[in-house]
Amino acid sequence: MPARDAGAPGTRGAVRLVARAELRERGWSLLALGVVLGLVGGVVLGAVAVGERTATAYPRLVEAVHLDDARLIVPADRPALIEALPTLPGVADAWLTEAWVAQVGGPQVQFMSLAAGTASHPGLVTPVVVDGRAADPAAADEVVVSERVAEHGMGVGTVLPLRMLTLEDMARFAVGFTPHGPATTVRVVGVARMPAWGQALPDVLAGPAFARALAGTGIGHSAYVRLDPGPDAAARFDEAVAAFAAAQPSIVGEYLTPGVEHPRAPDPAVQAAERALLLGVGLFALVVGLGALQVVGLGLLRTAGTARAARSVESALGMTAAQSVAARVGAAVPAAAVAGLLGAGVVVAAGTLAPLGSQARFEPEPGFRPQWALALAGGAALAALFLLVTAAAAAFAWRRRALAVPEPAVPREGSLAAVVGGSLGRWPTLLLGSRLAQAGTRRGVPPLVTTLAATAAVAGIVATVTVGASLDRLVATPERWAGGADITIADSREPDVVALAEDPRVAILAITDTSYARLGSGGTLGIVSITARKGTPPVALVSGRLPTAADEVAVNPRLAAERGLSAGERIDTLATGGAPHPMTVVGVAVVPNENHGPLGQDLLATGDGLRAVSPERNFPLLTTHVYARPGAAAALAAELGGRLELAPPTVPDAIRNLGDLGRLPDVLAVVLAVVAGTGLAHSLLVGARRLAREMAVFSVLGATPGQVRITLGVLAASTAVPAVLLGVPAGLGVARLFWWQVASTIGVGGDIAVPVGPIALLIAAVPLGAALVAAVPARRVRTPAATSLAAL
Amino acid sequence: MTQQTESVAGTPAPGAPGPALVVRGLRKIYEAGTAPVRALRGVDLTVHAGEFVALMGPSGCGKSTLLHLLAGLDRPDEGTIALDGTRIEELGAQRLARLRRRSVGLVFQFFHLIEHMSALENVSLAALVAGAKPAEATARARDLLDQLGLLDKARELPAALSGGQRQRVAIARALANRPTLLLADEPTGALDSDGAAEVLDLFQRLHAQGQTILMVTHSREVAEGAQRLVRMRDGRILADGEPSGPVEVPAGLRVAR
Ligand SMILES: Nc1ncnc2c1ncn2[C@@H]1O[C@H](COP(=O)(O)OP(=O)(O)O)[C@@H](O)[C@H]1O
Ligand SMILES: [Mg+2]
Repeated sequence: MPARDAGAPGTRGAVRLVARAELRERGWSLLALGVVLGLVGGVVLGAVAVGERTATAYPRLVEAVHLDDARLIVPADRPALIEALPTLPGVADAWLTEAWVAQVGGPQVQFMSLAAGTASHPGLVTPVVVDGRAADPAAADEVVVSERVAEHGMGVGTVLPLRMLTLEDMARFAVGFTPHGPATTVRVVGVARMPAWGQALPDVLAGPAFARALAGTGIGHSAYVRLDPGPDAAARFDEAVAAFAAAQPSIVGEYLTPGVEHPRAPDPAVQAAERALLLGVGLFALVVGLGALQVVGLGLLRTAGTARAARSVESALGMTAAQSVAARVGAAVPAAAVAGLLGAGVVVAAGTLAPLGSQARFEPEPGFRPQWALALAGGAALAALFLLVTAAAAAFAWRRRALAVPEPAVPREGSLAAVVGGSLGRWPTLLLGSRLAQAGTRRGVPPLVTTLAATAAVAGIVATVTVGASLDRLVATPERWAGGADITIADSREPDVVALAEDPRVAILAITDTSYARLGSGGTLGIVSITARKGTPPVALVSGRLPTAADEVAVNPRLAAERGLSAGERIDTLATGGAPHPMTVVGVAVVPNENHGPLGQDLLATGDGLRAVSPERNFPLLTTHVYARPGAAAALAAELGGRLELAPPTVPDAIRNLGDLGRLPDVLAVVLAVVAGTGLAHSLLVGARRLAREMAVFSVLGATPGQVRITLGVLAASTAVPAVLLGVPAGLGVARLFWWQVASTIGVGGDIAVPVGPIALLIAAVPLGAALVAAVPARRVRTPAATSLAAL
Repeated sequence: MTQQTESVAGTPAPGAPGPALVVRGLRKIYEAGTAPVRALRGVDLTVHAGEFVALMGPSGCGKSTLLHLLAGLDRPDEGTIALDGTRIEELGAQRLARLRRRSVGLVFQFFHLIEHMSALENVSLAALVAGAKPAEATARARDLLDQLGLLDKARELPAALSGGQRQRVAIARALANRPTLLLADEPTGALDSDGAAEVLDLFQRLHAQGQTILMVTHSREVAEGAQRLVRMRDGRILADGEPSGPVEVPAGLRVAR
């Protein structure tokens, strides 16, 4: 402890005395600032808490459900693989369940798969039940379903009459069959949450009693595997499974995913949505935090400034700067405590907020989840911040007291403001306004901070509304994600297609074929072809053109971004037989895909191109996309639904995740506007009040109240105009960068939609609003012109 | 409208029609704090064109209040003010502002120059407010600074000038609209004796050129430089006459005392 300053009991007493006096005089205004900092700081920390909950929802769910490292479905005609699975290379632990495919009775032909294990496995695949309850292990007729299925009307209480398919039934799927397996009825008792459902993890899960009752009647087994920790375990396991599959072909190979699924692989759709959310939350916290700091900082500075006379007395009495500052900090302790408590309270209250947007679907513990550690640390940080800013303001005020009146600099000849002031000198308001503005920028920190903060806010608002508009456009424009068909038929045949093409209610008819192509350099790429059978199906071409020859492909924006592919480059695809069959990239296009997960296959080829590179197949069913004429879709669907398996027009997960952001960008923009607007208004009011003397002089010279108001308005606008000039392009730049990232992650075009209206409004509103706000105190300046001059 | 087109010197010839200022029964009450302050309790005053009047009185007797009412910065509670024949006591803020810009020049004890503007700009600002074109305003400001011996300081900011120089800039500013009436509230109060002498000398020169001046002062010496001395006390005119000659005491006051 430094002995000199605080050591003597006399001076310590003096510090305490001054602190007490300070508390008496400025206690209430300190408390008000403490409340502001506590509330706003709490909101910032609350945003951090919600951000954390949002960012960790997915990994926490992965933990909570003991997500498997690998999963696969093994048809019953591969018994050797089922037997060997627990001992395959790379496997640390495995859980085997039996898998069924059932026909569901109802007005429409519908099939579903389900799985059940004869015993549950605590360390592998334990879905979190978010509605209802888990299936009773002793009840053979209880199932839980995925949220995905529950959303389509199969929630708790739904009764499902099932007729199981045998493996032979399934092999005749394309040809037509009646199920030969046992019939049973199950009831949905719960809705469960998992990070990823897939073919090997069916949307309907039953319990051990069900598994025992129907043992041996399924089409095979679903296996969930915990891999060894080593980095190559996955590859070794995949390789071993592939070897078994090659040795023992299955009669249903065409219908089941051949390989191993790796559910832990990061889902780019999830990542893109999460990145958007976290950026938004971060921006929100930053702007609100800066706004609060500005308001509280200016407030404390003003509070410290009013104590100047007292401080002169103190220095005359021999108190040092450190002691004077210490007294002020001491007086601020109660207000700091209030700030800390309030902030911590807001953080705890933020525990009631669910993760933002689509991430709420991954929250393993829905409901109140307070973050005590953050509340404690954040509250302490807010209290400390309050004391720190108090100390800084007190030190600043002490230093200013010691300084002589600063020598104003001579206006520079030819400076922008001088030129503007000169040429516009015809109007005295502009001459005075520009000179005062010039002086304001020279007076240093506050106006500069105001302009910078306003610039950041404008940029943030522009970026947010632009990303929001791009998002809205994407979700509302199915062509952008190769969607938009009214009806998709999964099991149509050539005669169906011919009939549909002749149907006058059908506007556009397209057939897609999906497969994969092997690469010379190893690995595979998904490939899809679109064949128009009537009209021109909409395809979202991002750049270049669509393929027209068998050796041409368009690539998905995601692949283009990942591998830096552009038109003219070649992909080393292999022909069906294994010979090299390189394909040339002719463009970038959004490629359709019925699967969940990331949008689109990798490559879009012609029908010939797809056949040239994909494995030999003998699959008579066609996936047909029908774009009906206006108003005809419903009737058409009802007519076709009785015979064919229709997929309703679904929105891909990636788009749905983004769509879940909903009005969040707009809400964020409004919050930004309100916070930044309040901060700007506050500092403009303070600035205008500081000019009371100048305005009184102006009034004495004969300026009308209107001219005084205009002058203050011009001044405020001169603070706001640079914010708009810099902020709008900066915001558009940020939005462009960010949106390109999101778009290429999910595989759509990365061009932004500029919301011209809102941005034009902002450009007009910021300087205008600033001018209006600053003109308000002119009302007060006007009347006591004489008084205010007499007082000076 | 045509105004006087000559420089400062161009004031109406003696014997021009009507007095520059006629004040009758002026009362002003400030409703501040607990008790209302009766700052003016019935002031009658006439100032003829071309006169140089000094106004003296103890602190708080209402001198500044009177000046502010005459300048149209505030409105009286009772009484009339006729400036150049125009009644101003009932005018709105807008009309008062126009009146100030056309007919009144005001000089303060503490100058009240705009710190961020050069001497020249301070003066031309007033001319601009009065309606001059920019070139005209700059020319008039230069001319005034020249007459007041400050041309070499035209580009300086007020902070770079001495007190006397600053007050002269303030006077130049007050003259930039060629006012009918120049009002000065203790213009020498913040100056040393050299500065005070400078300003008084300037006022006398302006007076010689025909400028009508009403100047509040605490200094007997400065007051003696004027042509006529008016004494105030407790919100009333106490005496009126030659600064050094016999003093005429208004009849009503004698009764009141
Ligand atoms: N704006 C005001 N509000 C309240 N009282 C005022 C105001 N201006 C002046 N006064 C009071 O009116 C009286 C006259 O003031 P003033 O005209 O300034 O006197 P002088 O200039 O002669 O010193 C004083 O008592 C003063 O306190
Ligand atoms: Mg006074």
